Formats: sequence, structure tokens, C-alpha cells
Amino acid sequence: MQVWTKLFAKSPFKPLIKHSEVVLNTVETLERALQAWHSGNYGEMERLAIEVDRLEDVADRIKEEIRDSLSSKLMMAVAREDVLIYLHMQDKVADAAEDTAKWLLVKRPGELPAEIKELILQMGTESIKAAKLVHEAIVQMDRVIESGFADGEIEKEYGLIRKIESVEKEIDGLDTRLMQLVLENAENLSWGDGFYVLNIARTLSNISDKAKDAAERIRLMMNK
Amino acid sequence: MAWAIGANDAANSMSTAVGAKAITPKQAVIIAGLLEFTGAYFFGKSVTETIRKGILDPTMITDPMVLVYGSVAALLAATIWLIVATKFGLPVSTTHSIIGGIAGYGIVYAGTAIVNWGKMGQVVLSWILSPIIGAIMAYFIFKAFTKSIFERKDPVRSARIWSPFWIGLAFVVIGTMFYIKVLHGKDLKTGVLMYGIPLGIIVFVVTYFLIKLRFPSSDPFVGVEAIFRKAQVVTSGYVALAHGANDVANAIGPVAAVYAVATMGLGGMEVPVPRWILALGGLGIAVGVATYGYRVMETVGKKITELTNTRGFTIDFSAATVVLAASWLGLPISTTHTVVGAVIGIGLARGVKAINKDIVRDIIISWFVTVPVAGLISAAIFKVLMVVG
Repeated sequence: MQVWTKLFAKSPFKPLIKHSEVVLNTVETLERALQAWHSGNYGEMERLAIEVDRLEDVADRIKEEIRDSLSSKLMMAVAREDVLIYLHMQDKVADAAEDTAKWLLVKRPGELPAEIKELILQMGTESIKAAKLVHEAIVQMDRVIESGFADGEIEKEYGLIRKIESVEKEIDGLDTRLMQLVLENAENLSWGDGFYVLNIARTLSNISDKAKDAAERIRLMMNK
Repeated sequence: MAWAIGANDAANSMSTAVGAKAITPKQAVIIAGLLEFTGAYFFGKSVTETIRKGILDPTMITDPMVLVYGSVAALLAATIWLIVATKFGLPVSTTHSIIGGIAGYGIVYAGTAIVNWGKMGQVVLSWILSPIIGAIMAYFIFKAFTKSIFERKDPVRSARIWSPFWIGLAFVVIGTMFYIKVLHGKDLKTGVLMYGIPLGIIVFVVTYFLIKLRFPSSDPFVGVEAIFRKAQVVTSGYVALAHGANDVANAIGPVAAVYAVATMGLGGMEVPVPRWILALGGLGIAVGVATYGYRVMETVGKKITELTNTRGFTIDFSAATVVLAASWLGLPISTTHTVVGAVIGIGLARGVKAINKDIVRDIIISWFVTVPVAGLISAAIFKVLMVVG
């Protein structure tokens, strides 16, 4: 009967997972761009950075679609506001990746100390980890609902959230270390290179910051 | 009328199974058709009596032809309203429609005094109670369900033990109702002990070994869903059976009244409802399922995306239990109401991902308008028939 097709609305969770997959893809592409950057393969780096930009657009479109479909007419297992804010945070992860890609595109680096290059690469790897964990967390959130909020599933979700938080902390440490390194190497670096490196680091640590914000929203979804 | 029930309501019984992709629409049509017929034929008796006799005071209808015209008017009114409502996508209850229709012609003929308002109130109360009971039932079944499987340390292992338990339990209810309805047993205890529990145990053992032989996956979520995908076929069948038992009365009650007049020349006498009339009703429902229900279920199968097998099982199990219990008590209740209640109950247990609140509101509104609207249509048809006849 027609009513059954209307009664069960499309849940936002599958689309949220789809959005998260695109976000993850964006960040992974950025990681490859950073690797190309690290090895001096700038042509490849530019191609990948442009791809990051494109993927971020895709994520934006999915975000808009989810927003449009998520009317207040729905009765959901979690609060609508939490879903919307979570979506915003998850999208910010892709935005931050795009910011980094932009910095990669505006300037090719001069001669950078190996230490700094290593550290940037490491920050990239760590932020991918955070983004991957966010993806796992939203998949797990789907299971929490699937299980009717079973304690065991909620516990697993808390575990993932704690991991995201610890990754974020680690990146904060790397960020500080990079700032120190840039200042220590002030004499070997041009003003432009220093500015460039610090901004890449800032946008990279932004990725994990946003990942942590998203994780906190998931925590709120479970608490109600 | 029976066709309209089959086309509209009966499709509901299988919709959760089709929606959760447990079976194809084609399979659903065959299963639903057969079971609706079986339910109507074997289980449909006592409810038929309630609707036919309960609403109007038979002693006030002195002219048997009034009963004939009235019954025809009520049948037509309910059928018209059902078709119109379906056209607009309104989920109206066939039970409401026919009761409204009966009350409508009764009031036109002899004024409001003819309606047994006490009985009417009881019936209305059961409509209000059935979604509430459906919701409570579904809430607790879903909670118990998740506690017994997903909240265990080893969900795969618990799924192997508890899934047969839940499926077995569904069969305890089926077995019990079989005793009470088909064999006309009076003692509920005998029914549970002699029929329900043995059948439940057999089903438990069979399911247990089937699952032991091949559990679909090491992932408890995928595995449990796979088990319940199969179980859902059974529970949906159970809903279809219960549905046939209850709703055949809608189509058949007035026909039985006409039959009583035709064979004995009198209305309001204690006449048993002949089997062939029940068979006719069952057949009508089955044909309705096959002709129109097919399309409905196909749409459902493609459009409902967020209904999983475990939730579908819980909805079916709760709704069917409530509907069959009501049938045992002789109260006409609506499958639609109970299922909607069960869906909300699962939502409250935080098992449903998204329900459209607007539709729930529309459904509730439609529940309230159906009786008066069907009554008015029936009254108009009755007037015309009396003038022409």
C-alpha cells in the first residue's frame, strides 16, 4: 500500500556513510599528493591536488542532498540537529584537505630541510588516520542504531572516538614540533617558504581537528 | 469488497518482508494469497458474527429486505470509500469502513437508537487500543530481541541460539491460535500446552539445526539479518493468516446477513456462517492480492529501503500476535492500526532509523474520518435502494 512507501523515510545514515567515503577519498588523495610533493614529483602533485579539489565538490553536493532530505518531519533514532552538525563537521574534514591542496598548488617549495619535509609527510599520514577513523565511527554508529543501542556496540563506538581524540592530540604535538623546526631553520628558509610550510601544517592539523569535532557529535548522538 | 481488501490491506501483511527484500513481490503474492484464504476460511468465524450482529439491534429491523438493502449499501459504501481513499493514498481501515457503513444505513432506517453504542464504543476502543498495544508489544519484543542477541559478548553465538527461540515463539502463538480457531477449542491452556508449545519446539529444533549447518556469516549483523530474512517470510505469512482471519469478516459479515434473509426469510436470527461464504471471502481477498496487490507490493519492495529484517520480524510478530489475540476475543481490529503502532513502538525502542511523522499524522486522521464518511455514503446508497426497491 502506498502508505508503507511513505511511512519509512529514507534514513540519513547510509547517505552519511557515502559522504564519509568521499571525504575519506579526498583525504587519501591529499596524502598521495603530499607523497608526490615529498619526492619532488610536482607534476603528479598538482594533478592530485586538483583531484582533491574535485572530490571536495562531490562531498559538498552530497552534503546538500542530505540536508535537503532531512526535514523536521522525520522521527529518527538520533536527534536531527546532531545529524546536521555532524554532517557539517564531516564536510569540514574535506574542506581542510582542500585548503592544504590549495597551498600545494600556489607554490612549489624551494629547498626545504629534510626534517621539515618528513614531518609534513608524517602529519599528512596521521590526519588520514583521523579521517579513516571518522569513517569507521559513522559506520559503527549505523550499527549502534541497528542493534537498538546495544551496550557492546556503544562501547566499540566510544573506543573509536577515543582513538580519534588521541590521534588529534598527536598531530597537535607534531604541529608544535614543526613550528619549532621552522623557527630553528629561520636562516635557511626564505620568508615565503616558511609561511608556506607553516600554512600547510596548519591546514593539515585542521583535518584532525575537524575529525575530532565530528567524533564529539557522534558521542552526543549516543548520549540521548 | 473482499477484492478491495485483498488489493489494499492484504498487501500490507507481506510489505515488510518485501520491503526488507526477504522475498520477491511475486512470491509474496502467492504466499499472501494462499494464507489470506486459509486465514479467512479457517479462522474467520467468530469475528464475522461480531460485525454482523453487534453493531445494530436486529430486533428493530422488522423488514428482512431492509437488512438486504442495508447490507448491500454497507458493502458498497465501504468498497467505494476504500477505492477512493486508496486513490488518494490514504491508509484507511476496511474494518472502520464496513462498521461505518453498517451504522450509516441503520441510522437512516431507524434513527440513532438502533446502533448499539456500547458495542460501537467497545469497537472504537479496540481501534484505539490496538495501535497502543501493538506499540508496547513491539517495544518490548524489540528490546528483548536486541538484549538477547546484540548485547551479548558473542552475538554470533547468541544469534544461533536466540534466533530459533524467537522464531519458535512465533510458532507457539500460531499453534495456539490454530487450536482455538480451527478446532474451536475453548481452553487457552490446552491450546498453549498441546498445540502451541509442541509446534514451537519442533520449529525451534528445526531452525536450530538449519542455522547450525550454515550460519550465513561471521559478522553477527549480516548473519542475524540473513536468518531473519528467512524467518520473516514465515512471520509475514503469519500476519497474512491473521489478517485473513480478521478482515474476511468485513467482506463476509453483511453477505452472511443477506444469506440469512435469503435462506430463512428472517434477519437477526442465530445462523451459523456457512463455510462457503467464508471461502468466497477468502477467495476474493486472494484474488485481490493477486491482481492489485502485486503492483502494490512491487512498489513497496523497491521503495522501502530502511527496513531491516530483524525490525520487520519484530513488527510482524507483534502485530500478528495482537491481531490474533483480538480475533480470539472476537474484537474487530485493524491490521493497519496494529502495524503502525508496532512501527512506532520500534521507533521508541530506537530501532527505526527514520519514520515520516507527517504520514503517521495522516494515518491517524484517516482513522477518525473513515467511520463517518463510510456511514454517509452507506446512508445515501441505502436511501436510493429503498426508493428504487
